[in-house]
Amino acid sequence: MISTLAYGLTIGGILYIISIGLTLTFGTMRIVNFAHALVYTVGAYVVMTVTARIWDNFVFAGLVAVAVAVPLSYLIERFVIRRLYGQSIDYAIIATYAVLLVGVDVVKWLWGATPMPLSDPLNGAFVVLGGVELPLYRILVIAVALVVFAALEVFFRRTMVGKIVVAGLENKEAVRSLGINVDRFFTIVFLIGSALAALGGVLYAPITSIHPYMGFQVLLLCFAVVLVGGMGSIRGSFVAAFVLGLVIAVTGRFWGPAAETMVFVVMAAVLIFKPIEA
Amino acid sequence: MLLEVKELDVAYGAAKVLHGVSLAVDDNEMVFIVGRNGAGKTTLLKTTAGFMAPIAGSIAYAGESCGGTPAEAMALKGIRYVFQDKRVFSQLTVRENIELSAYMTPATPTQAVEKVLEIYPRMAQFLESRAGGLSGGQRQLLLLGCALIGEPRLLLIDEPTEGLAAGTIAEVFEVLQSVKGRVSMLIVEQNLDVVRRLADRVYAMKEGHIPREFRSASEFQEPDALEQYL
Repeated sequence: MISTLAYGLTIGGILYIISIGLTLTFGTMRIVNFAHALVYTVGAYVVMTVTARIWDNFVFAGLVAVAVAVPLSYLIERFVIRRLYGQSIDYAIIATYAVLLVGVDVVKWLWGATPMPLSDPLNGAFVVLGGVELPLYRILVIAVALVVFAALEVFFRRTMVGKIVVAGLENKEAVRSLGINVDRFFTIVFLIGSALAALGGVLYAPITSIHPYMGFQVLLLCFAVVLVGGMGSIRGSFVAAFVLGLVIAVTGRFWGPAAETMVFVVMAAVLIFKPIEA
Repeated sequence: MLLEVKELDVAYGAAKVLHGVSLAVDDNEMVFIVGRNGAGKTTLLKTTAGFMAPIAGSIAYAGESCGGTPAEAMALKGIRYVFQDKRVFSQLTVRENIELSAYMTPATPTQAVEKVLEIYPRMAQFLESRAGGLSGGQRQLLLLGCALIGEPRLLLIDEPTEGLAAGTIAEVFEVLQSVKGRVSMLIVEQNLDVVRRLADRVYAMKEGHIPREFRSASEFQEPDALEQYL
């Protein structure tokens, strides 16, 4: 059971890191951004490529992946999403889904469609907890998620940029009335969220196989996190990600095929008892 | 004149809500707008503040044409808008609300806090509390205090006493009275007692028009002079 819980927390940590960008983008810009999954996918492919061809150093490759993701996401924000601010949410869904589809085809063109593995960067090192061997890498992923959470807490609670974003999430017009160009700050948040999506791809790459459609699967899970956590809620996403990660792991332990389905059962229950306010 | 609005037309989609509205506010003048719900008062303030673009007419502020200028740019010119809904940034502390209000002004955070405490000293005990925990009256006083940070030239205030208890209305009245003559104000208000005691001039609004301007106290102090527009 300890290994199941550790696996659940690992999945939860990765879901949190990826979904934080989605919840911020929705909370600040009221944009549902499917292209987020493309950034995640690119992150995984870049880390694999750099470790295989440039330098077999996972940390370096991860930093390169995040560095590649930021300008990519800026281009998506600048030329697609920025034109959709204030428009119907349907346009954003269609446009960003189109970006995702085109992007996946570009990924297939560059790397092919065959799933590819990435070996454990810690060479299978493990720790023993309660008599159970746990992969050290997964413990590391949980730790990274906690560090990201702490860093975001400091950013949003202690820095003026973070406070402007928190205020903008609550009442954008009131922030504008103070002379603050809030959209500029939302762009910064979008790039932070995208960098985290790439980091999620980097961290998940050694656990799963890397393939062009990997973003679609994780996207649905991340939307469940965002909905359960409360759209635009940073702390809510943190709690929801770990809860849903544990739901996946515990369900999978007893009935494998239902593992991810149970996530959406939880999501449906949350929506029934706590509907999203229009 | 500090603010001159001329022949302003504003619409929500195909629905025109302001029809040729004209008004003016002079330096350090306190001007009120009275009228029923739906008369277009809030739309007029929002358009002046830059949250909506007019479809016709002009807005001149400090001699500069600025119809359709975005709200953040209008704020930087010295216009502060106090919303009707009394919403503060509830996730932030009172102090953080004040500091945020000072962010784009020359005032330091310390000066900003002092400014708010100057007009409402009792806010000192709430500085480190979440602003979401303030009562409606305390929120309004915080918003008024924040609006005064950085020496703005024009305040646009939407229904400052709406929904407040009598005691709190008196506190809001005192704040408005204390800054009267030091800053220009255009205030939407339905509490006619407050209007009569504070106003320099009053505009009546009805169905998107301004049918009458009361140019002096003697005009709007007449019995039923303002009541007929509510």
